Formats: sequence, C-alpha cells, structure tokens
Amino acid sequence: MVETATDRKLEGTVKTGDRNQFRGQKGLQDLVLDANLCTGCGACIGLCPYFRSYRGKTVALFPCTLMTGRCFDFCPKVEVDLDNLSEKFFGRSYDGNPLGSYQTVMISRADEKVGSAAFQAGGTVSAIIYFALKKGYLDGAVLTDRDGLLPIPRFVTNPEDVFTCVSSKYSAAPTLSALNQGIRDGFTQIGVVATPCQVLSTALMRSNPLDDKAFVDPTGLIIGLFCTWALDFRPFEKFVSDRVDIKNITKVDIPPPPSDMMEIYLRGGQKIEIPLEEIRPLVLEGCSYCADMTAEFSDISVGVLEGQPDMNTLIIRTERGRKIVNEAQKEGYLVISDMPAKNLEHLQSAAGNKKRRAVIKAKQEGILSAKILEKITRRSHVISD
Amino acid sequence: MSFLTDNREGIQHLLMGNEAIARGALEAGVNVASGYPGTPSSEIIETLARVSGERNLYVEWSTNEKVALEVAAAASFAKLRSLCAMKQVGMNVASDFLLHLALCGTRGGMVVVTCDDPGALSSSNEGESRHFARMFEIPLLEPGDFQEAKNMAKWAFELSEEIRNVVIVRSVTRVSHASGNVKLGRLSQTQRHAEFKYDDDALETYEGPAESTPVGHKHTLQQEKIKKVAEIFEESPFNTYHGPEKPELLIITSSVCNLYTKEAINLLGVEERVGLLKLGTTWPLPPKLLKRYLSTTDKIMIVEEVLPFLEENIKILAAEQAKEIGAKTFYGKNDGSIPSVGELNPDLVVLALSKILSTGYMAMPSEYKKRFQDSSFVVVPDRGRTFCPGCPHRASFWSIHNALQMDNRKGFVCGDIGCYAMGRLSCGFNTTKTLHAMGSGTGLASGFGKLAKFGMDQPVLAVCGDSTFFHAVMPALVNAVHHNSNITLVVLDNSGTAMTGFQPHPGLTVNAMGEEAPAIDIAKVCEAMGAVVEIRDPFDLEGTRNTLNRLIEKEEGVKVFILRQGCALSPEKRHAKEYDMRIDEALCLGEDCGCNRLCTRIFQCPGLIWDREKNRAMIDEVLCVGCGVCSSICPAEAIKKEEVA
Repeated sequence: MVETATDRKLEGTVKTGDRNQFRGQKGLQDLVLDANLCTGCGACIGLCPYFRSYRGKTVALFPCTLMTGRCFDFCPKVEVDLDNLSEKFFGRSYDGNPLGSYQTVMISRADEKVGSAAFQAGGTVSAIIYFALKKGYLDGAVLTDRDGLLPIPRFVTNPEDVFTCVSSKYSAAPTLSALNQGIRDGFTQIGVVATPCQVLSTALMRSNPLDDKAFVDPTGLIIGLFCTWALDFRPFEKFVSDRVDIKNITKVDIPPPPSDMMEIYLRGGQKIEIPLEEIRPLVLEGCSYCADMTAEFSDISVGVLEGQPDMNTLIIRTERGRKIVNEAQKEGYLVISDMPAKNLEHLQSAAGNKKRRAVIKAKQEGILSAKILEKITRRSHVISD
Repeated sequence: MSFLTDNREGIQHLLMGNEAIARGALEAGVNVASGYPGTPSSEIIETLARVSGERNLYVEWSTNEKVALEVAAAASFAKLRSLCAMKQVGMNVASDFLLHLALCGTRGGMVVVTCDDPGALSSSNEGESRHFARMFEIPLLEPGDFQEAKNMAKWAFELSEEIRNVVIVRSVTRVSHASGNVKLGRLSQTQRHAEFKYDDDALETYEGPAESTPVGHKHTLQQEKIKKVAEIFEESPFNTYHGPEKPELLIITSSVCNLYTKEAINLLGVEERVGLLKLGTTWPLPPKLLKRYLSTTDKIMIVEEVLPFLEENIKILAAEQAKEIGAKTFYGKNDGSIPSVGELNPDLVVLALSKILSTGYMAMPSEYKKRFQDSSFVVVPDRGRTFCPGCPHRASFWSIHNALQMDNRKGFVCGDIGCYAMGRLSCGFNTTKTLHAMGSGTGLASGFGKLAKFGMDQPVLAVCGDSTFFHAVMPALVNAVHHNSNITLVVLDNSGTAMTGFQPHPGLTVNAMGEEAPAIDIAKVCEAMGAVVEIRDPFDLEGTRNTLNRLIEKEEGVKVFILRQGCALSPEKRHAKEYDMRIDEALCLGEDCGCNRLCTRIFQCPGLIWDREKNRAMIDEVLCVGCGVCSSICPAEAIKKEEVA
C-alpha cells in the first residue's frame, strides 16, 4: 500500500530505536516534503505555528526541534499501519480490496428538501452534510470552498453555507486545516468531506496515535470523495490563466468516463474543454504513489457514476455512515437506489487500476521495500505483477 | 562652557577626536560643512551643526558623500572655507568628484575628513582611504593624538589655501571615538563674503571657471602644487622624532599607531634602543626628512593599520636614496611582523618589537587570554548581535522571511547597509543573502531580476532603509524599472538614519541645523519612476506578509513595498510605551505547547525571556518597549497587550 511509500527511507536511514528522533517536523521535512510526496492535505496545518499552506503547498516557516509531533503522526504520507487502522475501524485486517472495506455500494442523488444548487453530479455530499447539520447529527462540517481556482478550507456550522462549497476542486487543498481549527474551537461532532489522503490522515488522527488519555473522537461523519489525482495549484493556475480569465470561471468539471476532458464553464455560458492529456503533467508527484481511489477509511464514500451524470456512486462502509444515509433518505433529503452490477465492476476495475499504477510507480522509484511490496502483492485482489 | 564656544586660548577640554576636528575647523573659521553620516565620522558634522547659528555656519547632511563633497566644493569656489566629513566607504562614493576637484583646484580652504574603520568595527569592510591622496595627488594629514586632531584640522585649511587644492585629513575609529585633553586656540573672527568669480581666463584657477580641463595644463599645475606640499612637509611640526641619535631600530608610524607604539616601547623599556618617527604628513612623504632618519640605522619597522601604505612609499624613497643611506632591513606588513588584517593594539606592536629586538618579552600569552575569557564568560550571558526590543526590522524580516517560505520558490533578499544588514543573522531570521555597498542590494536585485531567460525562477527581493534609499538606491531602482526587472524592493522606512544616530535625511521635515525642510516622499518618488507601490505598518505581521506574497506573485516589473514604522530608539518613541505587555500564565503552555518556544527560540526579541523554573515565557519589564508585536506570534494567544492609558 502506497501510504507506506516512505518505508524504505525509514528502514534505510533510521536504525531501529532511533526512529523517535524523526517523528516531528524534521522527519516530515526529510521523508515527505523534501521527497516531494506531500499532497498538501492540510493535516499538519494549524497544529503549531510552523507549518503553513500557501497556494496548495505545505511549507515549514522555521525549523522545529521537537522529537515528536502530531504533524508527523497524522501525515498520510509517512508509513501507515493499514492493518491497525483497518482493525480499528472495520474490525478486520487490511485485505487490499480495490474499494476497501464496505457494507454496500449504492447510487444516490439529492432529494427535494435540499433544493437545487450548482451541484457536481447528484449533489449527494451536499445533501448529506446539509441534512446532518440541520438535524444536529453534526455540529460543524469541514468543506472546501474556492477563490478563483484556489481551494479554500472552510469550517461550516450553518447548513445553508454548505451550498457555497458545492462542486469539485481539482487541485490540492489543505482542507484538514479547517478540521484542526474546528477541533481547537471545541466542536465534537464534526463532519469531514475529504479526499482519500485526507480521509486517511483523519483516520490516523482518530486512532489517537500519541495515546492521549483525554482523547475523544471529534468527528461525527467522514465522507470520502473519489479521487484519481490532484493538480499542483501553481502550474494549474498558470495553465488555465494562459487560456481564460480566471475571474470568469463559474465551474470546473471532469465528467465521468468515457469523457476525457476537463470542462471549464465561464460566465455567460461559454465552456472550454481541455484534454486530460494536457492536464496530467500538472498532477502532484505525491498523487502518483497513492493507491486509494475511494477514500477507504471513510464512513461513506461518494463519487461520480459512469453513464448517469446526475447521480452519484455511494459506498457505505460503517454503521454511523449507514445510519445518517438512511435517515437522510427517510426524511426526503436523499434518493437512493441499487448500483447496477456493470457499474460496480467498472468501479472496482478503476480503483484496482489506480492501485496497480501506484505500486508500479513505487516499485520503479524504489520507494517501497521488497518486504512491503510482497505483502501488498500477496494480499491484493488486483495486483499481479 | 562648551568647547565649541570657549574662546580662552590654552584652556584644556576633554574632547573626542571628532569633536577636536570640529573645534579645529571652527578655529579655522569654517563656513560650510557637509557630510553623510557613517560611523566613526558622524560626530564631526553633528558637532558643527550644534553651533551653526552661533558661528554662522551652513551645515548639512547631504544625500550622499559625492553630493556632500560637491556642496563643500561650491563653498570653496565662492572663497569660503569648507569641510566635508565621511567614513572610509564614503570616500569611494565621493571619489569620482574628488578626482576632478583635485585637478581643478580649490579657492577657499577646503578639507575632506575621512574616518577609516580598521578592523571594520562598524563597517562591512576595512577600506583604506589614504590611497586616494596618492592616486589623486593631494596632501594627506594623519593626526597621531587628540591635540593634533584639532591642530591639524585647523592647519589643513591654511595649507589648502596656500596650495589652492583640497586637503585630506584621515582619522581612524580610535582617534575619532576616543577622547583626550585638547588645548584650545582662538576661534576665528574672520567674516568671509561668498562670491564665485568666473570671468578670468579658463587657464586661471582662482578667478576663472572651475573646471578640470584643459587636463594637460591643470595636471601640470596640480603636480607643481604637490611638489610644493612636499617641501612644506619637510618642516612640519606634525612630524616628530623621539629616541636616540643612532637607534638600533627606527620605527616609522602615523595615526593612532603612534600611541600603540609609544606604549609598546615603554612596556619593553627600550627607549634607549628604539627611535620613533611619527609622521603627521603622510602624502606626499617629505623625502629629506626621511633620508635624515633612514640614515640613522639599518633596521626600519613600519607600524600602520590596514594596507602597507607608508611601508611601500618609504621603501620607494629608500630605494631612490640607497646609494647614500645604504641597504636597509624593513619590518612591517610585507614580512609579516605586523598583521595585515584588522586593528593593531599595543600588544601586537610589543610582539613585533620583542621579536626584532630579541627582548624575550612575552606579549599576552594565548593561554592567559583563553583563561581570562573562560572565567569571564561564566557570568556573561551568551548574547549575539540582535535588533533592539521594539525594532521594526525584526517585525519586517519576520514577515519577509515567512512570505518567502510560504512562496516556496527559493526566493531571496539582497541586503543593504543599515541596522538591517543584520537581516542575515538569526535576529533577522537569516533572510538577506547578499551584503555589499550602499544601494548595492537594489542594484544586484535589478540584475538578478533579469535572469529569467536563463531559467532563474526564484523571486528576487531587496531591502533598503529610508536614508539608503536616497543615498544610492534611487539610480538602481530607476535601472530596475527601466529594464522591467522583476523585483520587489522593501523599503524599511524607520524615519531617520537610525544606525548612525538619527541624522535627518531628505525624507524628513527637518535638516541638520534643526530647520524645517521639505520632505521628499519615497512612495511618490517610486510611483513617479513607474513602480507599483504599497505601504504598510510592519507591526501588522499577517497583513504585511499577505501583501508581500501578493507582490511577489506579480510576474513583471518593479514592486516597492514601504514598511513604515519608527525606530524604537528614535527620540519620538523613546520612553513612550504603546502597550503594557504580560504573559497569561494560564494560557502559556510552556514546553507542552508544541510551539517549541517560538517566542524566545525564533522571534528572539530581547524583551521576551524564558523562565526555566516556571517553564513559561516572561516579559522582561526593563527591556520591553511595548511595541505589541509578539502578541501576534504566540499560537496560544498567551502574550497579552494592553494599551497604555
């Protein structure tokens, strides 16, 4: 699994027992930032005065000399014990299924009570968060807003504010800095809408890695977003601004396959299409090592649905996820129906392909140790080479 | 009674070297004095400015040294007496005009005082200005004590009028900034009328046009003048000899090294063996006088600081006269007897002397020095150089550093001359990466900002102070704008020439004499040049950082960011606390915070201290000036500020 991408470096450079020396900012700097593995998820932002996010990149302002830190322990790009997390959240060890652990896969869309906003696809995420905030299942939600093309983390308490954050962002966002803010402000039932790396970090945080005796899980619901990659903001912005005036953009979309285009909608109804081939060189280096398409450590995961642009794919993984989804459906916020078998097959194959690409890449770059490669290969349903 | 107005001849005052020079100028009846501040020279102009009303002087802090020299020269051309003061680096700035002035000649007595800084105690170099005298063929005087500083300054005006050319008086830090007893002479009562006469023939240098051309004619005249000077110097009372008629070793020295050498001879008790020739007139050297003394012995030691100026010139004279005076053994910088870098002191002279004379005297053993330092440092806290509490530069560099870190493209800052030269140290968060002459930061940035076509994608910044802006940054900024260089200049405007003691500059509403003066607005100047200009208070850390990040993002052209906040030591701010600061001990989590002691480990304002016992940050009530900035860096919001009622 690619979240262990830095394992070889740890094994190669740190003698057993010395590892504690590196479990702070210096470790992150050496193993993640300098290794270009960071995807700017925001997990380390707002925990201390040192890490900051700027235009999609995480930077350390000054060196910190502490030996340990949440920054290191919450980072999804440092070695992660997937068995431990899987045991904790799903009651079984990690088995390498392309979709992760789940109860059911459904399709869904927002129902009447949500009203209509400029949703991406079926508006499932907005519908569930709106419902959960309104009914008090959540006391706040971590979402991602947008300023031009720049994703902006937001902590939302008013259900109506959910609709200002609709639509996908395609460049890396430090969304989890808003989670850290919400926790600091004392919220205890926080909804988190996050990409796979962000969901993994949230799972790490929820596993209380520093053994804090007073720890209570501050989250109420984790909604994972399907993700194949995120773009490096700066070159992406330059790429787009060379073609259109960013101030005029109303929406950016990548429709599900077989479309192979990024669509940029402009004020006045104009739309330009950019082939994904041209966009791919702008993908963050760290994303190419990621083997998680469906945010495997969420309560529920949501993505587009092939062939039905007004519907979402909905993976239900945990009891608390199932409960809120059922309530939302019952009260008229969400429409749910069964996933066609063919779609499920395609989904599994897409997720499996992401896993395979990541492992091949990691193998090529020599980032994974032989031991870990063997472990993943043996367990995985899809990885054969 | 002030030494500046005391007219009782022979009365002694304890004077700083620079005060003695100013007094000498007053005794000579100086009319106009100009300069640019720079340690160790600043007190000369400041002292004269204090009596500008009483003594009917015109005194100014000029924009830079070249302009200062031109202002002083104008007075000389109008047959007034004028003095121009600067530090060694200023001579480089002024030298372009000085070359032409020396060729053109002067009318009223004109003296340039340069204060060199051997060992670079207050400089970014230990430049040597004596060579300008030789290079430009003008007389050079070097006072060997405080009385001489006064006497020489006065006599220099007479010499200047006698030869009708400018005279250099060269001081060093230990003459300018040390004090000694000085017997006063009478203050001048002469009234001069200013008039620039230009009607005579162009070849006439006294009442014709003031020009350096025709060069052949003027150069010939200039060389006649310097020959005459050598003759005058043969009889100068500033050249003195102490010692036996036939010494075993002849020491030739000048300036403060005279005092070090006297002390060394005394310490070793070798008065009977060593002769000391102290030269006050060091260019041109008086050849007959030197021949007389070089003839007395075979061993010659030259004691001087920085470059072997005397040594080389004396060797030329000795070579020319070798047939008559015989071969000599020279000791000095070239053979390593005297160090070639840094200041001298009596101990270093003792070391050289005792080797040559085989006295067996041990100068301070290195072992003793180490023991002394070890025992001293037990009680002396480890203090690096840092910005004062409340210094706006700390806040500015904090934001510049953070903006560059966040920008994450390996941007850098070209530094400049002022307190903010410490931007390269930890107190400035190691932010500046180049440091050279006044204005060079912006000039370098202008060059760096054009390297994109060779693949350079690092943001380029420069910093400069308000006084430096006027001194030498403006031409560099014009260059950057005109060539569309992609740079951001941060003007650290603390409303004064702070490092040298708050001398006014063209951006302020007051001049050197305390009169009201029109101020030049830096922002408007930059806008007129065509730069994008933003102004902020650097004490607003996040706002400053934000604006700077936005400016750095702009891909083209010159951005000027003016950070305006008065120096913490400025007369207006001193003793005026804006905030009472305190640590909320319930909020400060100490080592448990996870902030890793950001306030005392990184921010490092001397007003913040770490209480090891309480494991909390503390405010040092004595040092804190209440600027309030640290309250915005504490992540736990434990540093509280309250407005002083």
